[in-house]
Amino acid sequence: MKRFASLVLAAAIAVAMSACGNGSDSATSTQSAASTGSAPSTTASSGSSLPVLSPDNPVELSIWITTSQQAPSADNKLTKMLKDKLGVTLNYEIITPDNQDQKIGVMLAGGEYPDIIGSTDQNARLVTGGAYIPLDDYLKPEAAGALYEHVKPYWNKIAYDGGQGKHIYQIPNYNRFYGDIVGGVNYSASGFWIQKAVLADQGYPDLSNMTIEKYFKMLEDYKNKYPKIDGQDTIAFEILCAQGREWGLTNPPEYLAGAPNNGGVIVDENNVAAVFADKDVAKRYYKYLNEMNAKGMVDKESFTQTLDQYLAKLATGRVLGMYDQRWSYGNAHDALVAANKVERTYVATMPTFDGKAPYYADRDVMNINQGVGVSVSCKKPEVAIAFINTMMNEDWQKILAWGVEGEDYQKGADGKFTRNEQQRANSTDLIWRSSNRLMALTDIMPKHNGTYSDGNAYSPEDQPEEFFATLKQYDQDFLTKYNKKTWRDFNNQPPENPVYYPAWNIALPDGSDAQMADKQLKDTALQFLPKAIMASPDKFESIWSEYTTAIGKINVKSYEDAINAGIQDRIKNWATK
Amino acid sequence: MRAKTLALPKNRRNIWGTIISQRELIIMSVPLLLYKILFSYVPITGWTMAFQNFKPAIRNTFDQQWVGFDNFVKLFTGINGERFIRDIRNTLAQSILTLVVGYLGAIVLSLLLNEVKNIGFKSIIQNITYMPHFLSWIIVAGLVSSALALPSSGGIVNIVLMKLHIINEPVQFLSNPDYFWGVVAGSHLWKELGWNTIIYLAAMTAIDPALYEAAEIDGANRYHKMWNVTLPSIKPTIVILLIMSIGWILEAGFEIQYFLGNGLVIEKAETIDIFVLNYGIKMGNYSLATVAGIFKTGVSIILIAGANFIAGRLGEEKLI
Repeated sequence: MKRFASLVLAAAIAVAMSACGNGSDSATSTQSAASTGSAPSTTASSGSSLPVLSPDNPVELSIWITTSQQAPSADNKLTKMLKDKLGVTLNYEIITPDNQDQKIGVMLAGGEYPDIIGSTDQNARLVTGGAYIPLDDYLKPEAAGALYEHVKPYWNKIAYDGGQGKHIYQIPNYNRFYGDIVGGVNYSASGFWIQKAVLADQGYPDLSNMTIEKYFKMLEDYKNKYPKIDGQDTIAFEILCAQGREWGLTNPPEYLAGAPNNGGVIVDENNVAAVFADKDVAKRYYKYLNEMNAKGMVDKESFTQTLDQYLAKLATGRVLGMYDQRWSYGNAHDALVAANKVERTYVATMPTFDGKAPYYADRDVMNINQGVGVSVSCKKPEVAIAFINTMMNEDWQKILAWGVEGEDYQKGADGKFTRNEQQRANSTDLIWRSSNRLMALTDIMPKHNGTYSDGNAYSPEDQPEEFFATLKQYDQDFLTKYNKKTWRDFNNQPPENPVYYPAWNIALPDGSDAQMADKQLKDTALQFLPKAIMASPDKFESIWSEYTTAIGKINVKSYEDAINAGIQDRIKNWATK
Repeated sequence: MRAKTLALPKNRRNIWGTIISQRELIIMSVPLLLYKILFSYVPITGWTMAFQNFKPAIRNTFDQQWVGFDNFVKLFTGINGERFIRDIRNTLAQSILTLVVGYLGAIVLSLLLNEVKNIGFKSIIQNITYMPHFLSWIIVAGLVSSALALPSSGGIVNIVLMKLHIINEPVQFLSNPDYFWGVVAGSHLWKELGWNTIIYLAAMTAIDPALYEAAEIDGANRYHKMWNVTLPSIKPTIVILLIMSIGWILEAGFEIQYFLGNGLVIEKAETIDIFVLNYGIKMGNYSLATVAGIFKTGVSIILIAGANFIAGRLGEEKLI
């Protein structure tokens, strides 16, 4: 009888255990279902006002950020300030851009999200996957006023139809401008970059009417003259081809053709987009790279390295040139400056074919389909929105972009913000930043780009006086030699963007033929272009024809159709703003 | 009462009797059974995704759009099909090469270790060869990528080979697709060699010393003993392990191909798992990923049943 009792007991425990497992499972699922279900209704009813964040009522928010910035250190002074002033503690999860697609896929499949999601996914997968709540009901003057102000003029652009009508899900994180656009560093600048040391060594040659031949000639001459830099082999040209930055390999032909950055397509004057990957302009560029590779000008490790390895290589200062965008290699630039190797930082050149006018620089484009939003798993969406909205206030914007007044910058009698030498040095010190700035958060949060209401620029880098003062003597001399005032001046004067521009942020929905074709085009390029570049010159033609045959098998038309539909839709809806 | 239960097992035909007499064993296996059901069988319901145009935003499975075999057609035909078939080839090739190299390596090393009479030396060798097993694959992938890099980036393999004058020009191990399978098999060998010998060494300790003595009396030398005594004695172990590995043949590993794979070597590097990640998870095409998963499971079941059948025919121990 005793045995029987123990049997029953054991069985009961086993059942209880499994029931517990299932129980907690179903509990969470009902919970998430409840929050999904109730989110719209709360938004509907509570549109009037947001809760006030205060230290008396501490809250924790989990935040997921796609950025190449590091998480702040534990003793970060702004983290402490958020807690002391607003009672907000943020739990970060930071994903580097090259891992973003995969992480989004996993999150969507799981259906559980952090409270706040900040992504840079151009295909709006989180929106169509149902991860974000629509923010429309909060975006009102009496609720999230600052955010309302932020999106109001661009409502049509930012609102996205993720299957449930057009709503705003994400607040764009860059290039929504207030006031005047000032500043000397153009982070969206694109170009064939060249080390300042190369230009200085060759007597500051004229950079206008640049051709790809002239560009490589400069690299080659310098490499022959200085085969080693700081004891390591000089690398003439580096190709960026890391995961998520494949455009470093595939985009240059459109610039060489005198077209602006529309991603995988060139858009003609009738607003018709066509893929250029297999066209002559592409062939010409890759054939030239192939010849340059045969001469030993291209880094043999270009195609096998990761993004980190690429940036680390640039940061050694032994890479003379590469095609990239300024924001993309920003970390390497900062590292070079921090290591006192200013002469190894880069300026942009703009080679084109056949004397075409360069169109490398565009008007700063507001990044739609990216930025920060509130997830359906967030228990208190109004708190999350209140936090984002509070961060959008000018006071907090200044803290995020400039730091703490009196500690990281001073306010002059004229109201202008300035910094002293120590403060400037701090701001380029990566370790100092991790305990004194919130770089990752700042990167993904909406910004007051342009100027504040008191006339100061959004950030020190944008403040003209600060920009010149932070320039090292080397850079000041360098700019004087070229008779230019800012790094922006090395790019072309951007004309007004076309209405639809840019085509690269037209979202291709998950599972669509267009998305599949886009991915296949990318994969095909990654498979054949490196091979074509690395091959001995006599094999180039045969590899190129393999490449074009492979592209021929892809449903390119579905991709072009989707892009063209997107362009037409934008022309229709955006023209009026 | 006690006597009664003990008497029952004799009546083998009475299934209830057996159950009652083995009730402790059955109770002990219940948690494991539940675990298996929960983590191996319940997820099979997810296979419904293969027949749907699955959208994660729709949480109720039955609200999804049903598309029949469309996803199967998509995966196995056209350029996806070409690619998937290429990936099956890569998976099988990498896996078989890894298996063969790993098996031979482990058996040879354990035979050699078994002959080492100096215990101190033996345990040093064992420890050195075990150690890489405890590194995670991602670290191994990092080590491999820097070891095989160009000399200018500190690629030790190239440096050593050049110093030994075996090669004059550095070899680009990581950008030539023809080396990729070898790199994968080599990394597996380096990582798992020592670990895999453990089970063989254990099997060897169970060999009756009388067999060796008898062989010695018959005039057998060391090699004869290895070949005629040690190897036949561990043959059942080898066969069982082989059958077990065959079930995993479509699992060629993931990290090393993911980390070292790039456009240049993709034609030899991409395995089914990488394809699933790139075309399924990263693009939100869960249905396609599920079809590939079903395919993998199907093939694995066929392979393991086949291997088991053959082993039975050869008169060896069967796993099931």
